[in-house]
Amino acid sequence: MSSFDRSLEKIDLMKLLLFLMVFLVITFGFIFILIIPNVKEYRVLQAEYKRVLVHKTRVENLFLEREAELSKLKAENVHAIQAFKHTFAPTEFIRYAGKFFTNVSLVEVSKSDYKKEFVEYELNVTSTLKTPTNFYNFLEGLNRYNNIIQADFPIHLESNAQTISSTFKIKVYDLNATTKDPARK
Amino acid sequence: MKYSFITPRTKPFLSLFSKMWVIFILSMSGFMILFDGYLAYEIRSFKTGMVDLTNERETLEKRIDEDDEIIGLILRQKALAEEIFSNNTLLKESMKNLFDLVPDQITLKKVEMERNSLILYGVTPTQDTFNFLLAAPLKSIFHTSNTNFYLTKEGWYNFVSVNKIIAEESIGE
Repeated sequence: MSSFDRSLEKIDLMKLLLFLMVFLVITFGFIFILIIPNVKEYRVLQAEYKRVLVHKTRVENLFLEREAELSKLKAENVHAIQAFKHTFAPTEFIRYAGKFFTNVSLVEVSKSDYKKEFVEYELNVTSTLKTPTNFYNFLEGLNRYNNIIQADFPIHLESNAQTISSTFKIKVYDLNATTKDPARK
Repeated sequence: MKYSFITPRTKPFLSLFSKMWVIFILSMSGFMILFDGYLAYEIRSFKTGMVDLTNERETLEKRIDEDDEIIGLILRQKALAEEIFSNNTLLKESMKNLFDLVPDQITLKKVEMERNSLILYGVTPTQDTFNFLLAAPLKSIFHTSNTNFYLTKEGWYNFVSVNKIIAEESIGE
C-alpha cells in the first residue's frame, strides 16, 4: 500500500518547512520552559547539597574526635570516675579502716555542695592503732579506695599503754544527684 | 459498473512523510519529558538529602555538646581526684617526716596536727636534748615555735611544743 505513497519521493517544501517550524517551536519551548529552569535549579541544589555534605562531614569528624577523646579520658580515669559515682557507705569504709585500725567509729559532721557538681561530706573518724605505720598505710590505701576520700586536719594522736588512739577528719567527695545521671551515659 | 481500470485504494489521513515528522516530534517531546522527569527526581532527592544531612548534623552537634559536657565533668573529676590524692600523699609524707624527726630519746605522748599548727606533748630526758634534737628542725619548718617544760618526779621533763605556720595572707598584712 505504501508503494503508492509518494510523499517521500516528492517532498512538499511547504510541508517540510511547516514541520520544521513546529519541531523547532516545540523543542525550544521544552528547552526554555522546562529544561533550562530545572537545570539551573539542579545545579544550585547540587552545590548546596555539596556544601551541606561538607559541613556535615566536618561536624562528623569533630564528633568522632570528641568520642575518641572521651573514651580515652574514660579509660585513663576509670578509677576516679567509678569512685565519684560510688555512693559512700559508712560500713564499707569502717571495714576498710578496720584493716589498719581497731575500734573505728564514724560520725558525720556536715554535708555541703562543693564546686558546682560535687557534694562534700565531712566525717570524724576515731580509732586506735598499734603503730604510726598503720596510719601511713591507711593514707596510702585511701587513694585506691572505692570513694574519693581526703584525710584532713585536725589529726590528733595520743599514745596509751599499748596503742595509739587517733581522731581525724575525712572528707568524702561524691557527685551530686543531678550530675550523676548524665554522667552515667 | 466500473469507471476505472484500477482498483480504488484508501488514502491515508497522514502521508508517510507527515507520519515520520509526527513520530519524530513526539519522540523528541517524550525524550524531553523523560529528561525533565529525571531532573525533577534528582532535585527532589537533593532536597530530601539535604534535609536528612541537616538533621544528622544537628543530632551530631547535640551529641558533641553532650560529649563536651561529659569531658568537662571528667576533667573536673580528674583534677579534684588528683588534688585529693596528692593531699593524702602529702599528709602521709609529712606525718612520716614528723615521726622520723623525733629522736629515740624523746617520747611523744600526744600529737595535735592542724592545718597551720602542730602541738606536741611528750617526755624528754633533758631540755637540751629536746632543744638540740627536736626544737631545731621544728624551728626550721614552722614560723613560730614555743616550748614549755615541766619537771617530772623522775627528773625528766614533760614538754608542750606549740609550732605555728603563719598563713601567707596574714604575713602580707
